[in-house]
Amino acid sequence: MATDLQESPARAPRRGPGSPARPGMRDKLARWDVKLSPYLYVAPFFIVFGIVGLFPLLYTGYVSLFDWELIEDSPEFIGLDNYVDLMVDEQFWKVLVNTLSIFLLSSIPQIIIAVLIAYLLNTRLRAPTTWRISVLLPYVASLVALGIIFANLFGPQFGLVNSILETFGIDRIDWQADRFSSHVAIAVMVNWRWTGYNALIVLAAMQAIPRDLYEAAVVDGASSLRRFVSITLPLLRPTLIFVVITSTIGGLQIFTEPKLFSEMPGSNNGGATNQYQTVTLYMYQSAFEQQDFGYASAIAWVLFVIIIVIALINFLLTRRLAGTGSGR
Amino acid sequence: MTMTGSRPTALPTKALRRSARNENRSSGGRAGFWTYGMLLAFVAGSVFPFYWQFLVASRDSSMLTDKIPPLLPGGNFFDNAARVFDSVPFWKSLGNSLIVAGTVTFTTVLFSTLAGFAFAKLRFRGRNGLFLFVVATLAVPTQLGIIPLYMAMSEFGWTGELQAVIVPNLVTAIGVFWMRQYTVEAVPYELIEAARVDGCSMLRTFWHVCLPAVRPAAAFLGMFTFMTSWNDFLWPLVVLNADNPTVQLALERLQSGYYIDYSLVLAGTTLATVPVLIVFVLLGRQIVAGIMQGAVKG
Amino acid sequence: MRQLFRRALALSAAVTLSGGVLAACGSSDDTGGNGSDGGPIELTIGTFTEFGYEDLLEEYQRLNPNIKIKHNKTGQGGPYHQQLFTKLGAGSGLEDVVAIEEGHLSDVMAKASLFNNLLEIGPKDVTADRWLDWKSQQATTKDGKLIGYGTDIGPLAMCYRKDLFEAAGLPSDPEGVKPLFETWDSYFAAGDQFIAKSDAAWYDANAQIFNAMHNQLPVGFFDTSDQLVIETNADIKANWDKVTAASGRGQSAGLVAFSNEWNSGFKSGAFATKTCPSWMLGVIKNQAGPENKGKWAVTDAFPGGGGNWGGSFLAVPTQSKHPQEAAKLAAWLTAPEQQIKAFGKTGNFPSQKAAQTAPELLEKTDDYFGVKAGELFAKQAAKVGQAQYKGPGDGRIQENVTSPALQSVEQGTSPADAWAQVVDGATKIAK
Repeated sequence: MATDLQESPARAPRRGPGSPARPGMRDKLARWDVKLSPYLYVAPFFIVFGIVGLFPLLYTGYVSLFDWELIEDSPEFIGLDNYVDLMVDEQFWKVLVNTLSIFLLSSIPQIIIAVLIAYLLNTRLRAPTTWRISVLLPYVASLVALGIIFANLFGPQFGLVNSILETFGIDRIDWQADRFSSHVAIAVMVNWRWTGYNALIVLAAMQAIPRDLYEAAVVDGASSLRRFVSITLPLLRPTLIFVVITSTIGGLQIFTEPKLFSEMPGSNNGGATNQYQTVTLYMYQSAFEQQDFGYASAIAWVLFVIIIVIALINFLLTRRLAGTGSGR
Repeated sequence: MTMTGSRPTALPTKALRRSARNENRSSGGRAGFWTYGMLLAFVAGSVFPFYWQFLVASRDSSMLTDKIPPLLPGGNFFDNAARVFDSVPFWKSLGNSLIVAGTVTFTTVLFSTLAGFAFAKLRFRGRNGLFLFVVATLAVPTQLGIIPLYMAMSEFGWTGELQAVIVPNLVTAIGVFWMRQYTVEAVPYELIEAARVDGCSMLRTFWHVCLPAVRPAAAFLGMFTFMTSWNDFLWPLVVLNADNPTVQLALERLQSGYYIDYSLVLAGTTLATVPVLIVFVLLGRQIVAGIMQGAVKG
Repeated sequence: MRQLFRRALALSAAVTLSGGVLAACGSSDDTGGNGSDGGPIELTIGTFTEFGYEDLLEEYQRLNPNIKIKHNKTGQGGPYHQQLFTKLGAGSGLEDVVAIEEGHLSDVMAKASLFNNLLEIGPKDVTADRWLDWKSQQATTKDGKLIGYGTDIGPLAMCYRKDLFEAAGLPSDPEGVKPLFETWDSYFAAGDQFIAKSDAAWYDANAQIFNAMHNQLPVGFFDTSDQLVIETNADIKANWDKVTAASGRGQSAGLVAFSNEWNSGFKSGAFATKTCPSWMLGVIKNQAGPENKGKWAVTDAFPGGGGNWGGSFLAVPTQSKHPQEAAKLAAWLTAPEQQIKAFGKTGNFPSQKAAQTAPELLEKTDDYFGVKAGELFAKQAAKVGQAQYKGPGDGRIQENVTSPALQSVEQGTSPADAWAQVVDGATKIAK
C-alpha cells in the first residue's frame, strides 16, 4: 500500500515578505494551527472507530468468556467454555461449511463472468457508457428486496425458476430443502448483484494496460486469445485478487440473503436443518433469539479470526503475485 | 461499522497507478454480433428481477400460482401500493431512511475529506503509523461487534432511536482511505503553499484549495455511502423497532406480515427501489466513472 | 451485566477521549411524557398481528380523559417476541402493556420477576376466576403470581375441503366427517384412505399435526421442576412416530405454515384437512378467496378431544412507569364485553368464562363456512382440558427444533436422524 511520505513544503508558517511583523499571539495561534490541525482532522475517524469498531470487537472477546444471557444481572465467568462448546457444536461446523460453500459458489463464477463481461465491454462498442450503466443496474437493488424477489423466484412449488426448468423437461429442484441447491440459489443472488460491479473494476484495470504491449504482440502475430491469456490475464491478477479480498470480507459475513431466503418468514433457522444458515445468521440467532450473548460472542470472535486470517493470506498472496506477476 | 453490502473500490496495487484517464479508450477489438448478443443477454438477466417484481406488484398474487405466468403488467399497482402504506409506516420509514442515509453521507464525506487531506498533504508525527492503521481496519469486520454495540445503545437509551444507526456510521475507513488516495494526486503542493503564504489558516486552506479539487471523489463517496446506508439491514434490524423503521426494515416487516400477500410485498419492494433507480439513471455516468477511477487509484 | 458493562465502557471512553462526544450526543434524546403533575398520562401498548383493539382503545381514552394511549403494532409474532425479550434485557423500551403469545409465555414465566403481579397492582375485583381455568393457570407462577390477563384462546376444530373429500369417496357433511376426526388413529387411517384416491395431501405439514397432538399430552417437553423430559417421555416419541409414519406414507403436503406456498395451498387444494383454531377461519377465507367459497368447511370435532393453539395475554413489565394505570387498561381490555367486541372484529375467541355463554358470541355466524362459528368454538373451548406445563424454552423448542426437524422428514431425512436432531437441539436450548 502506498504510504510513501511526500515531502510537504507546507509546514512551518512563513510570513510573506510584505506582511507586517506582528509577533506574539497571532504567530502562536498559527503555530498551534499547523501542529494541531492534522490531528483534529483525523480524530473523528479514530474516535468513531474506537467506540463503534474496536471497543465492541474487543468487548465481544470479553463477553465470550461469560455465561452471559440477555436478561442477566450477574454473568458468570466460565473461561473458554463457550469456545469448547462451539468446537463440538455440530450446527456451528455446519453453518461454517455453508458459509464457505456459499462464498465459493458466489465468488468463483462471479469473477469468471466479470472478466468475460469486462472483456466484452472493452471492445469498441457503440454507446459504451450506456452498456456500463446497464451492467451495473443490479447494484442499486436493495438487499432486502432482492432477498424477497429471489426467494420467490426459487420457490419449490410455484417458483418461476422451477416452472422454466419444467418447461424444458428438467425435474423441478427443491431449492429450499436441498442443501447444495439452496447454496446455489443464494449464490445466484449474490452474483446477480455484484458481477456487473466487479466487471467495471476489471474493465478499468484492462484499460490501464499500456497499449504498446498489445501492439508489440500484434506485430509478433499473436492471436487475440493468446494476447488475452499471456498479456491481459497476468496483468489483471492483482485486480482479481483484490476483488477476491474485498468479497471475502463481505462474503463471509453474509446475512441478509440467507435470512430472507427462508420460506418461514422472519425465521433465523436458515432452513429446516440449517442447510443454508450462515455464521452471521447463527450469531444473530444465538444473540437475539436464544438470548445467549456469551455464546454468540464466541461465534463472532471465531468468525472474526477466520476472516482476518483469510484476509491476511490473501494480502500476502497479492503482494507476492503483484511482485512477480507484473514484473515491476 | 462497515456493512456487508459495502465493498471498497480502491485497489491497493501500485502496478495500475498510471491511470487510464480517457475512459472510452479501448484496447480490445471490434464489437461484433456475439459481443452485443452476450452483453444483451447479461443485461436482460440484470433487468429481469426488477421487471418481475413490478409484474407481480401490478397484478394480484394469484399469478404466482399460475403455471404460465403473464408477461405484461396488470393494473393493480396503485391499489397494492396503497395497501403498502396501510400495512407498514412506509412514509415514516422513507423519511427515516432519508434522515439516516443523508446524515451518514454528510458526515462521512466531511470527515473522510478532512482526514484524507491531513493524511495526504499535511505532515505530522505518527502520520504513517496512523494511516497504516486506517488501511488495516479496512479488513476488520466491525459488523461482528454488534453485541457490545447493542449493549452500549441500550445503556444510552438509544435503542429504537435513529441516532443508534447514525452514530456508528459517522465515518468509515474506506472513506478516509479513498479520499486520501485521491487527494494525493488531485491537490498540488504549490496551491497549498500559496494559500499558506497568503495567511490562510489550515481550515481555510482545506476549504478553498483542497475541497474544490477533490469534489468529484467526494461526490462519488457520497453516492456510495448513501446507497450502502440505504441498504443496511443487520444493524437496524437489531437496534430499531417496528414502529420506527427504515425502509429495509419496513420491507422485511411486510414480508413477515400476518397474511403474506406477495403482490403487496413486491409493491413495497418496487416502491423502495424506484427512488434509488431514479438516482441511478440520473447519475449513472458518474457512478460508473467513480467505480472505474476507484479501481485504478491507490 | 450492566455494571460490568458500564465499567468497560467508561474505560474505553477514557482511552479514546470520547467522553465529550458522547455526552454531547446523549442530551438529544428524551424519554417521553410522564404526567406526574396531573397532566394526561401516556400509556403505550404493544401488540402483534391483529388484536382488534383499535376502536376499543379509542373508547378507553374517551372514558378516561386523563389517559393517552399509543399503540405499537407488529406484523408477525416471531419478531415481535424477539424484540420483547431484547427490550426486557435492555431494561427499557418496552410498552406499559405488552401482549404475549401463548407459545412464548414459558420464556416470560421464566423471567417472571421482570413483570408485575397483576393480582397485586390490578383492580381488586379482577381475579383468576375471570378466565377459563386452564387459561389463567398458564399465566400463574408456581408461587401464585398472575403475570398476564388472558385475551383470547384458539380452541381447535377441524377444517376440511368438502370437494376433495367427496371426490375421494369420504363423507363430507359436518356430521358425517366426525367419526374420521374421533382419535388421531382414525384421523391417520382416514388419511390413508384419502390419499389412495386423491392427488392432494391429507394435511398441510407434519409440524402442524405434531404440535396439536403434543399440546394434548399431560406432560410436555418439561416436567414441573423444569427438567427436560423429551427423551424419557414416551408419549412424545409415540406422537413423533405416528406423524412421521403418516408423512412417510405421503399424507403431508410438506408446506411450511404461513409461507407463500402454504398460502397458495388453500386455494389450489394442496391438502384436504387443516387443524383449525378460530382465527384460522380468517386465514383460510383470505387465502382460498371468494372463488372457493363453499369448498372449505369446519366441524366441531377434533382428534383426541379438544385442543388449543395460540391465544395471548396482556402483561405489565416492571419497566412501566405507570403500572397501576397500565394494569387497569389491561384489565378493561380483557373484560368479557371488550373481548367479545374484539371477536367480532378479528375472530379472536374470548378466553373469559362469562364470554363463553354470551348470546352475542353464540349467535355469531360465519358466511364463508356457513356455520355458527361462535357456538362451534365455544363447544370446542369447553373440551380443552388441563393446561400442560411449559418449561423455559418450550416455545423455542417447538419453533426451532421440532418443527424444522419434522419438516426435514418431509424433505427426506430419516425419522430416526431427525429425532436425534430433536433431542440434541432441545438439550441445547434447555441447557
